[in-house]
Amino acid sequence: MTTPTPAVQAAIDAVRDDFAGHPVEVVPDGAGGAYVVVDGVHLGGQYTPPTTWLGFQINAAYPRSDVYPHYIGRIARHDGGSLGEAVTDTEWRGRPALQLSRRSNHWNPAVDNAALKAEKVITWFAAK
Amino acid sequence: MVRREVNPPADGWSLTLPAGLWADLSRHLFTDGAGHGAVILAEHVRGPRGPRLLGRRLILAGDGVDYVEGTTGHHALRAEFVRDAAVLARDEGLAYLAVHNHYGTTTVGFSIVDLSSHERGYPALRQITRQLVGAVVFTSQAAAGDLWLPDGTRTTLAEVVVPDNNVLRLQPRPAEPAARDPEYDRQSRLFGDRGQETLRQLHVAVVGLGGVGSVVVELLARLGVGHLVLIDADHAARTNLPRLIAARHDDVGRPKTSLAARNARQANPDVMLTLIQQEVQTPRARDALAYCDWIFLAADTDAARHWVNEAVHQHLIPATQIGVKIPVDADGTLGQIHAVTRPITPDGGCLWCNELIDATELAIDMLPDAERERARYVAGVPAPSVIALNTLAAAEAVNHFMLAVTNLHHDDTGQAAVLHRPRSRDRDLQNPRRNPLCPTCSRCRQRT
Repeated sequence: MTTPTPAVQAAIDAVRDDFAGHPVEVVPDGAGGAYVVVDGVHLGGQYTPPTTWLGFQINAAYPRSDVYPHYIGRIARHDGGSLGEAVTDTEWRGRPALQLSRRSNHWNPAVDNAALKAEKVITWFAAK
Repeated sequence: MVRREVNPPADGWSLTLPAGLWADLSRHLFTDGAGHGAVILAEHVRGPRGPRLLGRRLILAGDGVDYVEGTTGHHALRAEFVRDAAVLARDEGLAYLAVHNHYGTTTVGFSIVDLSSHERGYPALRQITRQLVGAVVFTSQAAAGDLWLPDGTRTTLAEVVVPDNNVLRLQPRPAEPAARDPEYDRQSRLFGDRGQETLRQLHVAVVGLGGVGSVVVELLARLGVGHLVLIDADHAARTNLPRLIAARHDDVGRPKTSLAARNARQANPDVMLTLIQQEVQTPRARDALAYCDWIFLAADTDAARHWVNEAVHQHLIPATQIGVKIPVDADGTLGQIHAVTRPITPDGGCLWCNELIDATELAIDMLPDAERERARYVAGVPAPSVIALNTLAAAEAVNHFMLAVTNLHHDDTGQAAVLHRPRSRDRDLQNPRRNPLCPTCSRCRQRT
């Protein structure tokens, strides 16, 4: 079992800071990265339920690697509408989930990080 | 060109210097025939033949300012210069190596005055830094080192390695003549017996054992490379058979590592093999790369590119990326075919600088298998792949390697990629781009 790299550990700490007040579950992936689940993430009143978990892997190649994709609990729109592009039904680590596929085409390890990417994904999905 | 005898790898402690650091140090030491000094700060890691020191930072001593006439010898590093460098070594957890040059060519050693100076100063310096401390003395073709280890013991440096277009191995004196192996008589007439012995002692990894990698393994084994590290998680499929060297129809379903191992042993029954039937991003494969002298990157995933690129810059191990691109448009129009052989050397342009790794594709490659398939929800179309084109690139790469490790390239320096365009019968050299702020490769370029 390879423990999370210092960069991954620092990213986890930053996620905990960024989502202060939210339970954050961390499970090492065994290869130097970790799976992270942030609970109680509010995605907006247009969804049922409006609050769910957000999960992602910060892998051993971080911060050179993007954090992709992200997963949330299965939620639906109140109006019954489609969730749109880049959202697919799936399972993630034994949980029914939606996969949110938001690439960072110009990922820059000097600027981008796991916490910021999580915020961007939440903002993007909440604005749908 | 007069043949310069190559030194086979030596067992024991080694110091590896990125080519740019060595170029800066050489200019400082060997320009005018006078004596000069410097300090190298080095990281300590394990290696295939003993502990390795990796040169991370070069601090040049100004003549008459930092490198001054000493009280007991010709010249010495000024006390304040030593203190500042030692504090930096302590703070960064790096070994401290004082450097100076002697007259001479292929033989070098410390003088009695040098050794007395080490005995006076290094026990205290070792206590201050709590790191390995020592000294290295150079000529342009030789190096010797006196290392004082943190555990209180003292040892010598077996060699200084500079991985560049030729892989220089500077040792205290030329290696003893090697015995001639009659089986390799014809190629030894090119490499020399020491060159053939060099090949026998090398540990070489091949990442990806498909259409390109299987050819590379065949060539390396027949050249007499002594230890091959073969990395691939895949099994042979029927559509692979036309491109896998010496594959048989009953090989379908067998691990590609097994096929490559069988071929390597047929070529050279004495070859040592390490088989890793895993993807290169797994910890075991990543660790194995750190114990190699050269890496061939014959896999085209972003994870393979990233982790080989990391091994080059983290462990200062040269690598060669090999690839063939056959572009076909949606309407079936065939574009220019490229067969590329790209050296990746510490201090050369890295694969990130050259935009050859995609950060999101890397994240997808790093996912567990089942999630990876779901994450890549747009199905890919298999690209064309042909054995003769793969062989063109593989042979170019292995030729570059064998000339580099036997010091037979005309120029010691240079990291240009070779680009074949078989449809127009062009062959170009392409220098790598370098991003001075690249977080991966800029760590090989620290100068003070």
